[in-house]
Amino acid sequence: MDLLFDSVASAFLLFMSFDRELIEIVLVSLNVSFFATLIASILGIPGGFVIAYSTFPGKRLVLTCLNTLLALPTVVIGLLVYSFISRKGLFGSLDLLYTQKAIIIGQVILIVPVIMTLTIAAVSRIDGRYRMTALTLGANRIQMARVIFKEARYGILAAIIAAFGRVIAEVGISMMLGGNAKGFTRTMTTAMALEYDKGEFVLAVALGITLMSLAFLINMLFHFFQGRTESETV
Amino acid sequence: MKLYKLENIKRIHGSRTVLDIADLEISARKIYTLIGPNGAGKTTLLKILSFLDLPSEGRMRFMGQEVIPNEKHLYAFRKRVVLLDQDPIMFTGSVWKNIEFGLQVRGVTEAEKKRRIEDVLDLVGMERFKDYNARGLSGGETKRIALARALVLKPEVLLCDEPTANVDGENQEIILSIIERINKEENTSVIFSTHYLSQGQRLADHSLLLQRGALSDMANENIFRITVAGSEGGKALCQLTGQLFLRIPLSALPAETSFAKIHLTPELLHFAPEINGRTDGNVVTGHITEMSQESGRVRLGIDIGVKLILFLPMDTYLRVKPGIGEKYKVFIPDEAVGFSSFESAL
Repeated sequence: MDLLFDSVASAFLLFMSFDRELIEIVLVSLNVSFFATLIASILGIPGGFVIAYSTFPGKRLVLTCLNTLLALPTVVIGLLVYSFISRKGLFGSLDLLYTQKAIIIGQVILIVPVIMTLTIAAVSRIDGRYRMTALTLGANRIQMARVIFKEARYGILAAIIAAFGRVIAEVGISMMLGGNAKGFTRTMTTAMALEYDKGEFVLAVALGITLMSLAFLINMLFHFFQGRTESETV
Repeated sequence: MKLYKLENIKRIHGSRTVLDIADLEISARKIYTLIGPNGAGKTTLLKILSFLDLPSEGRMRFMGQEVIPNEKHLYAFRKRVVLLDQDPIMFTGSVWKNIEFGLQVRGVTEAEKKRRIEDVLDLVGMERFKDYNARGLSGGETKRIALARALVLKPEVLLCDEPTANVDGENQEIILSIIERINKEENTSVIFSTHYLSQGQRLADHSLLLQRGALSDMANENIFRITVAGSEGGKALCQLTGQLFLRIPLSALPAETSFAKIHLTPELLHFAPEINGRTDGNVVTGHITEMSQESGRVRLGIDIGVKLILFLPMDTYLRVKPGIGEKYKVFIPDEAVGFSSFESAL
């Protein structure tokens, strides 16, 4: 119990002291997680829409593959991306390895299937009458998709929150592709792993609490936003 | 020019043919009713007529133009036709936003949008609901707003799938009177489906009966014109034909009615021996002229001076075993009599 109390106290002290290193770690984490979620949303939401609303041979196979990719270990993604961006890799000349961009690339690969499958589920749950009504009122395919998007927005928002939660908490990709360089690619999870290796359990747990507090804050913001959009539509 | 022309249209789902129409022509600016039981293919036909679904086989023309399975082509047709769903769904947002949707996708100007929405809300009597959450309305109110959402677009054709289903009497009257009004004033062609033959007969220029996906000419059966000859004992004495009179409760007829068009619901007619001492109806006598089996029951044609159709449950048929040419008494309960129009001699 001492460990827990000490950790909470340390976390509190870290917060209060506005420790520069902690702020840097938090900002790097937020930065890579934000851009990874943004890029994955841009790719995954329309992709999920297209798969949900189109009929093509092999659709079932695509869905099975997407579901399988949900279980893809971060280490596998790390290895795959490493093989492309390492000095001898296909994109080695771009000098991406051990940069925040490398982490973002890996995290995008990690969460695109999450956003796609959850978007497919959210869109598929929408009553078919919305589509029919939009079409009979003269909407074209894009205008109809906008109607469906509006009706499925909470499900899609949940997909984005889940994806953000997945990337902010992952460690494998950040460690393998980011290299845990202090001030550049050190994220909260890689810092926690480092502190653990050093035997600094108190600081590691304090960072964990910081991460959970941030995740809680971001979820609160999402729910606040969701509540506002709900009341605006009434 | 015909509004629609359908030739050998079939809609097949899996191995099941849900619609099979050999030939159908629908004229413009008329009201058509599509009558039939559940699963008869009414909704499927309406979806095809509204270009939301395509037939699996056959040819279809709309206003003389061939309907081809091309999204761009269908999109252009859909702008001229609106389908009002049986159980309409409201988009997220206010009543105003819902009605505005179709105008917005057509790029109508703000001023024109405002004018048309206000007019249509006035037409359906829902002005004060304009800022309400569209999802908070009752069933009848939702149908009226859905009707407004369709009519604001001034469609050439309004297709309604059971517009009065699950709606209270007051809202039913409002919806039917709006349908009648837009047909007369705006020359909008209307095709609506209903379970109620009497409702169809009241409004429609033509009735189409769908049974198991196919059209039948039965929609015009059991419809008679009666002449009110007098009254006795609280009942109007109505001449059906020659010496054949029906006694109909005076309360069912508006004052000073001289003529009326009535419909006798075949499912509610019985053989008189099956009725024990009921006085809320009329007993007529006739000879069986035709007999056929249909959906687990027997359809009988009886000549009572006019041709009367009734359906016998199979167990009644097996018990009574009627034959062609045999004479039977038929009980017509008051509840089987529906009115489609009234006329006064004054």
